[in-house]
Amino acid sequence: MPTAFEAIDKWIDEARAKLKNGGIQRGDLDQLHQLINANRKHTRQRLLYLHAATPSIRSQVIGMALHEPVQGSVTEIVTEEQEWPYNTVHDAVLDGWQVIHFPDQRTEFDDREIDILGYEFILQKLEDYNG
Amino acid sequence: MADKPYLLSDDEVISFIIHGSHIVEPDFPEGFNESIYAELEALDIQQNNPGDAILDEVPKLHQVFDHPKVRGALVSLLGEDVQMNGHRHCHVNPPGTRSQTWHQDGTNKRHHHIQTVLAMYYPQDVPAELGPTVIMPGTHFRNAPTDRMATYANFREQVALTVKAGTVAITHYDIWHAASANYGTRTRYMLKFLFTRGSEPKSPSWNHHPEEAAASMRRFSFERACACSQSDHYKERGLRIEMWEHLVGKSV
Repeated sequence: MPTAFEAIDKWIDEARAKLKNGGIQRGDLDQLHQLINANRKHTRQRLLYLHAATPSIRSQVIGMALHEPVQGSVTEIVTEEQEWPYNTVHDAVLDGWQVIHFPDQRTEFDDREIDILGYEFILQKLEDYNG
Repeated sequence: MADKPYLLSDDEVISFIIHGSHIVEPDFPEGFNESIYAELEALDIQQNNPGDAILDEVPKLHQVFDHPKVRGALVSLLGEDVQMNGHRHCHVNPPGTRSQTWHQDGTNKRHHHIQTVLAMYYPQDVPAELGPTVIMPGTHFRNAPTDRMATYANFREQVALTVKAGTVAITHYDIWHAASANYGTRTRYMLKFLFTRGSEPKSPSWNHHPEEAAASMRRFSFERACACSQSDHYKERGLRIEMWEHLVGKSV
């Protein structure tokens, strides 16, 4: 079964061909609308928390938590050697992740104490889950 | 002055200050760890955890913390009059668990001295799949409510305490830690005991040599326990020195 984007791409290709032969009709737009609606419910949000050393998207990523939008998926501490896919938030953006939360840039007023580790970026990818 | 056996060196104390942990591998008699594991299994602790009474239930545990290597490390960090705290707990991690979330013990009224340490004894080998305790080096200086750690999962520089049977991992009380998932086929036990300073330090309680210490103290400025922002690292340097000065008796 094609993904939403694949189905829409196919519709656009067909619409281009139709434009050469008299144009698209109301029924074509209804079909496009159906395609979008049919796939909208399959779109889910993958979430990636990246903790970077500073509020800059170019700074080193020091912590990571990936949440897959799948029933029963688990996000937990891993003790085996693990894949570390992104060195910076920018690397993740290049891979198609969209930042939906940026950390606060304010400097701590306390110039002695330290608390949490890193600056938290939350990223999403909207993907089709037809299964 | 000749070094006393089993006490830590300046460099080891400085490592503890920077990283927040020290691993001790005592040479227990053959079969000792296995016998404690068997006693714990017989107690069915998962269903009926004796809590602080674990020491009464398994008196052999006294031998773990009386071992000269363990005692030497505790005296080095907490002074000659170090005391075993009345609270202790047998942590049971059976097959099929999920990892805990990162946390610090206690509440968030903290300090930057070594007043209390956790001494975690493992009576069985702990390979990566058996749910080792995971610690994050350097985080004993970070005062973070556990709720604010809920979105963390893995840190690039986290350390899984994959240890051999008999190991005692001594950590600063405030270090960030968590039990990981047990994918193995047997229960992983960890006996967590607390040790507390009996009095404020007046002088170093380890094998201290001022010249060697001076050389090792450069690590306070240049060594990273974990990657963090430069501004955090500057503050961390100050907190390390504060901890050291308390230990050598300067802040009395």
